[in-house]
Amino acid sequence: MRRTVRQRLTVLGLTAPAYLWLTVAIFLPLSAMFCFSFLSALPLPGRSVSFTLDNYRTIFSKQLYLINTKRSLLLGLHVTLGCIAIGYPAALALAKYVRGRWREAVFLLIVLPFWSNGLVRTFSWTMVLRKDALLDWFVRLFVPDAPSLDLLFSYPAILIGLIHAYVPYMILTCYVSLQAIDDSLIEAARSLGASAFTAFRRIILPLSLPGLVAGTILIFVPVIGSFMEPEILGGKEAIMLGPIIERQFTASANWPLGAALSFVLLAIVLAIFAATWPFLRPHLRDA
Amino acid sequence: MIVSRRGLFRTPAIALAALAGLWAALGAGSPASAAGELHVLNWQGYGTDEAWALKVFEERTGLKVIHDYFNSEQEMLTKLRTSPGTYDVVLINNTFTEQAAKEGLIEPIDPSKISNFADLTPQLRDSPHFNIGGKLYGIAWLWGVTSFAYNTEVIKDRPDSIEVLWDPKYAGHVGWRDDAVESVQMAALATGQDMNNPADLDKVKEKLHALKPQIKTFWSSEDEWNKHLAAHDYDIAVYWSGSAARSKKAFHLPVDFVVPKEGAIGWYDGLSIAANAPNPEGAHKFIDFMVSPEFYVKWDTDVGAPASANAKANAQLPADAMNRAVLGDPEVVKRLQWMAPMTDEQRQKYQEIWDEAKTSFAQ
Amino acid sequence: MAKVGVILVRGYLALLLLFLYLPITVMIVMAFNQSALYQMPFVFDLKWFAALQDNQKLLDAGFNTVMIALINTVIATTLGTLAALAFARYSFRGKTLLQLLLFPPITIPWLIIGNSMLVMFYWIYLGRGLHAMLLGHVALSLPYVIIVVGARFRSFGTTLEEAAATLGASPWQAFWRITVPIMAPGMVAAALFAFAVSFDQFVISYFLAAPGVTTLPVEIYTAIRKGYTPEINAISTVIIVVSMGLMLLVSRFYRFGGER
Repeated sequence: MRRTVRQRLTVLGLTAPAYLWLTVAIFLPLSAMFCFSFLSALPLPGRSVSFTLDNYRTIFSKQLYLINTKRSLLLGLHVTLGCIAIGYPAALALAKYVRGRWREAVFLLIVLPFWSNGLVRTFSWTMVLRKDALLDWFVRLFVPDAPSLDLLFSYPAILIGLIHAYVPYMILTCYVSLQAIDDSLIEAARSLGASAFTAFRRIILPLSLPGLVAGTILIFVPVIGSFMEPEILGGKEAIMLGPIIERQFTASANWPLGAALSFVLLAIVLAIFAATWPFLRPHLRDA
Repeated sequence: MIVSRRGLFRTPAIALAALAGLWAALGAGSPASAAGELHVLNWQGYGTDEAWALKVFEERTGLKVIHDYFNSEQEMLTKLRTSPGTYDVVLINNTFTEQAAKEGLIEPIDPSKISNFADLTPQLRDSPHFNIGGKLYGIAWLWGVTSFAYNTEVIKDRPDSIEVLWDPKYAGHVGWRDDAVESVQMAALATGQDMNNPADLDKVKEKLHALKPQIKTFWSSEDEWNKHLAAHDYDIAVYWSGSAARSKKAFHLPVDFVVPKEGAIGWYDGLSIAANAPNPEGAHKFIDFMVSPEFYVKWDTDVGAPASANAKANAQLPADAMNRAVLGDPEVVKRLQWMAPMTDEQRQKYQEIWDEAKTSFAQ
Repeated sequence: MAKVGVILVRGYLALLLLFLYLPITVMIVMAFNQSALYQMPFVFDLKWFAALQDNQKLLDAGFNTVMIALINTVIATTLGTLAALAFARYSFRGKTLLQLLLFPPITIPWLIIGNSMLVMFYWIYLGRGLHAMLLGHVALSLPYVIIVVGARFRSFGTTLEEAAATLGASPWQAFWRITVPIMAPGMVAAALFAFAVSFDQFVISYFLAAPGVTTLPVEIYTAIRKGYTPEINAISTVIIVVSMGLMLLVSRFYRFGGER
């Protein structure tokens, strides 16, 4: 009896501060936004507004929003896969194959880009990817008459910019998980005759899954709503859900539609998570 | 056990207490509004924050000018709505003045306190967009043209038609601004329609979709425009007259601005006084200074600016200044269509059309 | 490990670092280039750094940014770790709901959150300013902290703590001597995230900044709109160099790679 009450109080004490903060700063404002998404227009003095489902109806019926939702989801998928492909091996190398001074140095170097301003970094990419700029110059060192890669203002440029910005997240989360794996587990498996690959597949990979999942969430979710990198690097191909939502607020005063689009995005994310949860659950140990 | 629970709370409690102290110190860093100050809300780098001008103004009136900036007209409205009693002078484009007045975000201006009032071009000064319900809500300040500019080193013959933007010769070398209203209006001009009320929206849509092979990239600020042109991302692009003057003069770029035979978009900005302004007297003085030839001529000559609504100020510009040479020509002015206020529904419709066009560009 | 394997691993990490630092190198090099429009050929010039010294606004913004980021890191890491601890070690009703509630702050575009915060804070008389910004930054950092520290806990499992309990350790001892060291690398990673989120945050800062008081990302963003010179590159370079110095200093006292 006492123990349960104490436990409840402990849980309350542990979670209350964070969630109270989140309530005031985020949930309250977002609730207001959620209400807006059911209005016919921004409620301003002298204007009559009514409750309506029209905003949501528009989103699900107009090709414009369906196509761009797909574009944004694909972008999220591509960027996340790219970050996993590049970041997981790096985290593995760092956690298991590099020791001492080197490990520390490489770790610091990977984390340092966090301290550079995202916008300036993205603009620096334009200088690398632009026609006849740094990248072309480098390629021409090896193949003198190569035509320009002309990567800037295209979808690949957006991918490069986003993967570059988010891969440290994946490396960090995977590293934190991988480093927790006891080396003796692997040694034991090897000594029992398992190949390196089997040890990886049946011990390392499952135990590092929490890190992979955490990284995926922290990357996929913000990327699908991003609008800075697409607009700077994408040129004509920048159009996606993020920029469209942004315009509802900065150009056409259509807060209700912008809000509705955002909550649809949130619903999709939650749906994806709900669909994959049964497969992930056994591996993500929880009390 | 009681010990573990207390321990669990102790560390963060101490940390937070220490931080609360720091927080209070930070909070003390926010400046409060004081007498002897004037708050201005405008685009950044759009005249009202010229350093030399503010110094002169402070010497004359003792008022220190503090600026806040916005990056879109919607943001300007949001700031006015959520910060009542903060701003004195605010820049509002003629298409938004009526909306701001009806919402009670700005207060009437007393023209007798503006010494330069009589010199303003009557067409702009007495515009119905500024004179609402018999009261004056905006002082016409600047006007300009949205059309296109080109790189004179790459394109040797001066284009005279808006169709040049759709010319296959320049495919992949055209720059555009990612703005729904501007895009629809340009397409309306190109299809010979009234840009404020195009009769045939399907033709407009077709024209916009036809831009697909032309556009290389979008620009969203003057600075971006300059950088793209200098890097040859595009050689011809939609642009504003005042900014073209600045690109040529301040940044020494080889540009020329064209008002084609089909016409171009005319716009004008006014200075208004925010409702419950802390310093309405100072606001009137500042506006008077801004529309004076003394300020305008130096601004356009040193830096480059849109045309002044003060005819006397325009006349004092050197003869070769773009504002006088191109925009001073009455033939050119005749070809302009002036932007009119729009309802939010109209804006949303245009946004949808433009977003659809952009989506087709990416397919 | 086989020689080939070592070379492979080192080669891979080297390539990765090359990729990560490509734009940063460009950014730093351009800080020393004379051209205001970022044009080649490269002409060495220190004028942007010199201009920085007189740019009081940029320096003030830099100071504000660092202060907010530091305070944000302490608050977010503390509050977030406590919550992660609750999720990892206890099961209770409403746990899934609380975990799901971490999604909105990271899913919904910051633009929406910024706009809604501005409006809501106006309604509840909180207003704009550094305090509002801090409120927003911590709220945005919390999900990152909770998720990252949580991942650390999950990978570690409860076996060590259970073993300690069987060996007679009190919950208090178990907490300080087992749980905290386990949490530590996760907390450090989370702190790094929290700092990065705040340091680079411009959307929320932009909406909640009081007129006349700004942060570095906001200054950079508005400069990019208006017309930015390599002064921006100069201050970004300064920040990177200073951060590198700080990290090296901290690493004297804390092994970033963790114990093993």
